[in-house]
Amino acid sequence: MSRVKVQLEPENLTRKQRRDHARARRKALEEAEAAATVRQARLRLLGIVVAVVVVGIVVVFLAAGGGAKHGIPASKAEQSSVVHEVSDLVGGIPQRANVLGVPTAPVTLQYFGDLECPVCRAFTLSALPSIIGRWVRGGELKIEYRSLETATREPEVFKAQQLAALAAGRQDRMWNFIETFYHEQGEEDSGYATESYIQGIASQVPGLDLMRWTSDRGDATLSNQLVSDGQAASAANLNGTPAFLIGRSGGTTSKLEPSSFTEPGSFNEAIAKLAKS
Amino acid sequence: MTARSLRIALTVLTVAGLGIAGYLTYVHYAEVQPVCTAGDSCIKVQSSVYSELAGVPVALIGLLGYVSILGLLLARESENTRFAMMALTLVGFAFSGYLTYRELCSIHAICEWCATSAAILTVMAPLSVWRYLRDAPTLPTPGASHSLERPPAGRSRLYST
Repeated sequence: MSRVKVQLEPENLTRKQRRDHARARRKALEEAEAAATVRQARLRLLGIVVAVVVVGIVVVFLAAGGGAKHGIPASKAEQSSVVHEVSDLVGGIPQRANVLGVPTAPVTLQYFGDLECPVCRAFTLSALPSIIGRWVRGGELKIEYRSLETATREPEVFKAQQLAALAAGRQDRMWNFIETFYHEQGEEDSGYATESYIQGIASQVPGLDLMRWTSDRGDATLSNQLVSDGQAASAANLNGTPAFLIGRSGGTTSKLEPSSFTEPGSFNEAIAKLAKS
Repeated sequence: MTARSLRIALTVLTVAGLGIAGYLTYVHYAEVQPVCTAGDSCIKVQSSVYSELAGVPVALIGLLGYVSILGLLLARESENTRFAMMALTLVGFAFSGYLTYRELCSIHAICEWCATSAAILTVMAPLSVWRYLRDAPTLPTPGASHSLERPPAGRSRLYST
């Protein structure tokens, strides 16, 4: 709050001096009012800016939200589009349990993922198709999908979804399940990976015998495989997903730290080097 | 803190932010691995879907923001430049807050470069708001009825706060 400094008027001032003093006081008051008005205008503008910024962030939050559609599409046409996309990607490539690619491929890439991990989704949808198209389809690489709990909050949910993928692997369709899950991944922390959601994913895997798949989900061998994957990740000091181990098939593996999870460049270099060795 | 020292502090912070945003923009386009002491956290953040907004890398958006702020700091100081500077830093602060939320709650990885930039904007935002609100406006003069410029040096001030 502005405060006007006013000198006390001596009583023995002349009329002219009193007039000057009055004028000065009036001027000071006017100036103080003008200053207060300016400050109010600034505060008003600040309020407008803050409001615009808040609205902007809410819009970004709602609209961007990762820029992805979440969950299983409601329409059959959209589901069919995902099924076709996945079939185009992995169709015709041999699958066995958690492995995609011909068994004789000289290079093996172990992909540690959590089906609810959004960065895994980014990798699976961005860099992986190029790697599969170039190296796996070419017979030089096979990819093993292994489970590592990171993004999924509830261990029971993690176990249920990863076992569902492994059970699809019993029918050599694990990669169709994984790809479909990542394509239709729900919004993180929304609790979307319910039993109904998992069955919805399975129902989009062409040729999957759902009765057998349901039965296989309870197989203790698959649970042991989950534990084994977790131990392998710990042994390799992998503490986040996606994470990768790469090496000559049947030989030792080393950690692959790509420069980007959405560009295949680092993967191409590592695979090419190992394929030649 | 004098207006000059405040301006210098803001300039130093802006240059630091500019360096970070420039480095992250380079990393994005050169497709090289960012220097990161926290394992592959930076790569995860840089590779996530949140690293782009409508197809534009957020690092580039940050770079443009810092360049604009630096331009405003180096320009002749006026009511308009102080206002624009305040608005830009508030936008930057809010956006970096959103990105930090995404790092913590969606990506589960913290990019130390992004966190440092967020910290810089967290300091800059209140400073630029304070700078905008605190500077005394020039008093109305004949012929310049709504001038909000600062009074010339040496001019007496009739009020205090």
